[in-house]
Amino acid sequence: MTMSRPALAWSVAGLLAAVTLPWYALQEGLDSGVWLTGLWSSDDYASALGQVAALGRWWLAPVLLALLACVAISLPPLPRERRGTLLLWASGIGLGLLIAQALGIGLRGWTTNWLTALFGELEARQFGIGAGAAVILIALLSLLSIGLALRGAFGGDAFVAGAVTTVAASIVLFTAWPILRILLQAFQDGDGAFMPALLIDRLSTEKIWSLRCLAGGGRCGVAWNTLFLAIACGAGTTALGLAFALIVTRTSFAYKKTLRVLTVLPIITPPFVIGLALILVFGRSGLVNQFLEWSIGVPPTRWIYGFQGVFLAQLFAFTPVAFLVLIGVVEGVSPTLEEASQTLRADRWATFSTVSLPLMRPGLANAFLVGFIESIADFGNPIVLGGDYGVLSTEIYFAVVGAQLDYGRAAALALLLLAFALGAFFLQRRIVGTRSYATISGKGDSGLPSPLPDRARRAAQWVALPWAAITLLLYGFAFVGGLVKVWGRDYTPTLEHYAKAFAVETTADGVIWSGAAWNSFWTTVKLAAIAAPLTAALGLLAAWLLVRQRFAGRSTLEFATMLSFAVPGTVIGVAYVFAFNVPPLEITGTALIIVLCFIFRNMPVGVRAGMAAMSQIDRSLDEASLTLRGRAPQTLMFVVLPLLRPAIVGALVYGFVRAVTTVSAVVFLVTAEYELATTYIILRVINGDYGLAIAYSCALIVLMLAVILLIQLAVGERRLGRRAPQAQGGRA
Amino acid sequence: MSVEFRDVVKRYGNATAVAGVSFTVEAGTLVTLLGPSGCGKTTTLRLIAGLELPSEGRILIAGRDVTNLSATQRDVSMVFQSYALFPHMSVLENVCYGLLRSGIAKAEAAARARDGLKQVGLDGFEARQPSELSGGQQQRVAVARALVLKPSVLLFDEPLSNLDARLRRQMREEIRELQRSLGLTVVYVTHDQQEAMAVSDRIIVMNAGLIEQQGGPRDLYERPATPFLARFMGESTPARGAVRRLDAARVRVRLGEAEIDVADQHAADGDATVAVRPEAITVEPAPGPTGALAGKVAKASYLGTHMEYSITTAAGTLFATCPRVERPLAPGAAVALVLAPRGVIVVGR
Repeated sequence: MTMSRPALAWSVAGLLAAVTLPWYALQEGLDSGVWLTGLWSSDDYASALGQVAALGRWWLAPVLLALLACVAISLPPLPRERRGTLLLWASGIGLGLLIAQALGIGLRGWTTNWLTALFGELEARQFGIGAGAAVILIALLSLLSIGLALRGAFGGDAFVAGAVTTVAASIVLFTAWPILRILLQAFQDGDGAFMPALLIDRLSTEKIWSLRCLAGGGRCGVAWNTLFLAIACGAGTTALGLAFALIVTRTSFAYKKTLRVLTVLPIITPPFVIGLALILVFGRSGLVNQFLEWSIGVPPTRWIYGFQGVFLAQLFAFTPVAFLVLIGVVEGVSPTLEEASQTLRADRWATFSTVSLPLMRPGLANAFLVGFIESIADFGNPIVLGGDYGVLSTEIYFAVVGAQLDYGRAAALALLLLAFALGAFFLQRRIVGTRSYATISGKGDSGLPSPLPDRARRAAQWVALPWAAITLLLYGFAFVGGLVKVWGRDYTPTLEHYAKAFAVETTADGVIWSGAAWNSFWTTVKLAAIAAPLTAALGLLAAWLLVRQRFAGRSTLEFATMLSFAVPGTVIGVAYVFAFNVPPLEITGTALIIVLCFIFRNMPVGVRAGMAAMSQIDRSLDEASLTLRGRAPQTLMFVVLPLLRPAIVGALVYGFVRAVTTVSAVVFLVTAEYELATTYIILRVINGDYGLAIAYSCALIVLMLAVILLIQLAVGERRLGRRAPQAQGGRA
Repeated sequence: MSVEFRDVVKRYGNATAVAGVSFTVEAGTLVTLLGPSGCGKTTTLRLIAGLELPSEGRILIAGRDVTNLSATQRDVSMVFQSYALFPHMSVLENVCYGLLRSGIAKAEAAARARDGLKQVGLDGFEARQPSELSGGQQQRVAVARALVLKPSVLLFDEPLSNLDARLRRQMREEIRELQRSLGLTVVYVTHDQQEAMAVSDRIIVMNAGLIEQQGGPRDLYERPATPFLARFMGESTPARGAVRRLDAARVRVRLGEAEIDVADQHAADGDATVAVRPEAITVEPAPGPTGALAGKVAKASYLGTHMEYSITTAAGTLFATCPRVERPLAPGAAVALVLAPRGVIVVGR
């Protein structure tokens, strides 16, 4: 009943920012310090208070009043619900008006004609929001969450309320908003006029929907191409991933550790490396064609270009993702249930097929969904190997950068892609539903995972081991490709490609990083290292909210987290440029926009992995912690996270690796100042400099291997108190 | 501390789990929520814990309104059906957990945790992992973990359902003993009426989201208010009979040729369903005393301490227990049943 300390703290923090931090973004950057003297009356540097009082920007006043009102509400003793309701109103109105003025007033006064008509011409101009506005925004969002929690929403827990608000707000801002902006394009003609009929025109062409390839002769539309490829890729990666996961967890195969590292290899490879390797082997001047021509005189073919090439490359690229998802699932199947089944007259095969596999079904569906969406969003492989086999993502790319320069068509195609992703998403929910099989329970678990039945083991090994061998071979060729002068013509061994990229000279002035690659290399490492922990944290937080908390809009939030994953990088890249190069959020050309793109592109995998792992941890463990005085953040910290270690490793690794290897999304966002490794390599490839490209890629692979080992060491394995196989019978 | 529910309703979408419930748990007593599965008893317990917040109504603990407080903000601990021991922590770490979260220093927390483990007879098990303990030991760790926090209210959610029968009796006696000696306020959920009668000061019987009847174990057993309660609390067989009121406090119940005068304030004259407790029937070889109910043994089982009979009578087939095991009656034997008034209950039309 006495004053509310968290509410007071946030209101005061907001007010402090309103007085001591500049409202607008600075050209010079916050660390320059030039703004310190201009806080009161400089047009560019003034704080919110200065803007209102000294410069007459009256539309910022409601924000200050809302914060003052929150202070007033926090201080006196009030009943919980009353205080909650008041806080909700004050912060809600403040937020609403803050957003309204940011959208309503832009670089040239009012942004729409009816606002001008209503209020008259406005002389003032607004730049993007800066540090002060950002802190106040966060403070108001926090006050909103506290208000909701006080009224009994989110189980009365302010942390949960704050977490939901944070995740929701950031997804709205950095996923929904950019996509909305680019999708508006689908309805607009070249001059920006709103023409709904255009969308139907754009979507109803032969090029998208033709089914001629089935009737023999001719090509199918890109929509069908995309679907065929995605279904094949989802099924293929799930089957391969399961085979690998089973071999690693359920057999006594001697080289498990090696297999584990091997399956991780394709993940840490920039997407076009597999494509390049496939070309080195199967391309026109590749090894297979050269051998065939030399031995039996078959002329070189372009067999690899088309569906089969893209499909192969995607299998190599995405099987490891399925493997990462499924390894947690297979490990989570309770041995007790399998033992129970075996005592019920089921032999190993019956146990596997009627107990273990059905228990893994939610995980399998998750893996399929990931493979499916990865495939429709993939850009690198179709562009390298697709040839005539066009898919939606490449089609969009050509609409944006090609001679057509048709943003509207690109946006319309993006709508179609979204529809496919939506379809997969709902189908998955229909099949798996909300069933969860809690198999890590709070009851001390005992029992040992039963080994795979012979039939399944043989099948898994027949599939996985040759696959592993081919993978190894491909990497071998790619590696060698960086060590010879010119592949296909001059196989003289050389180190010159590496020297060109990574030369370091020591001179009198100290060390000079003179290699051509160093600049983009360090930028990539820095930005990826910033993005990875944020990606993992946000992803696991979202997973925890989605699995463990019940709140209104939960399924909307779940869908929203998947959304950015479903949108091809090309579109996300354009959407980011489009949404963030004008106020209120003006961050184009900064490192921030690249980091944000990394985070919101890669978070969904963290969410899915986290959800799969969390739905196998008994809910009563969380609840026990809550009734034992563990507040929600402590429960997360001491109970949930230690049990989630495999998922944390997965999310961190994925966050870092994808940030390093991504091409399509960031190709629009990089600048001379912030050049990334992949975009640099692509440029080399376009210039025909395969040697340097491969050498650089190999260096990246080594870097990422090192980082993965580091993360594994730092996070460690989960201790579950299950007996190790050697300790069998140790308990009398 | 006391717990009070005022018209509490809990809905999940369209389903109503608790449909308007009011009761008070006095400080220092053990109250059981009893009922068949799906009756809303576990939801009620979770509402006390703060793991669910009510859709309507108020909840008070120790006189303070906690309706919208989360579990952490309430001074309540809970022992879970699955025990919910943290599998990645040792026994000591499990018991320390709540103390550390309350901000108690490590050394102090460890000392209090050791005391708590001693209280439940588990000293020496501190370094074990939960998976290395038997079911009963895990249960004790869960109790110690909740107990060391000295909560205002301690909650048990079907704590004995994963234990074997012998251990179940021992554990319930230990829980009752702890509750009495420490003067704890305990709310206990079970679907086993014997367990409820053995441990409780008061029992709240729930059915379909509502309270069916509440009172002391003896009240509920001897004066069940509804047919549901007579069936659910203890054994009874329904028989068909006729009722005639003698005065405000007594009725005469006619079962076959037998007539019994029973204390009852509500039953109306006419045909009625009468619940007959098996232990209220004395089985005599026929012909018995006058006013006895004639019957024939249909089934007989020997259970060591007593015999169990199914007996066909004019009022229906009655189930009876008989302590005289030395001369059992064979199926087909003609018998006379003497009915004690305390075991004959008019439960409805």
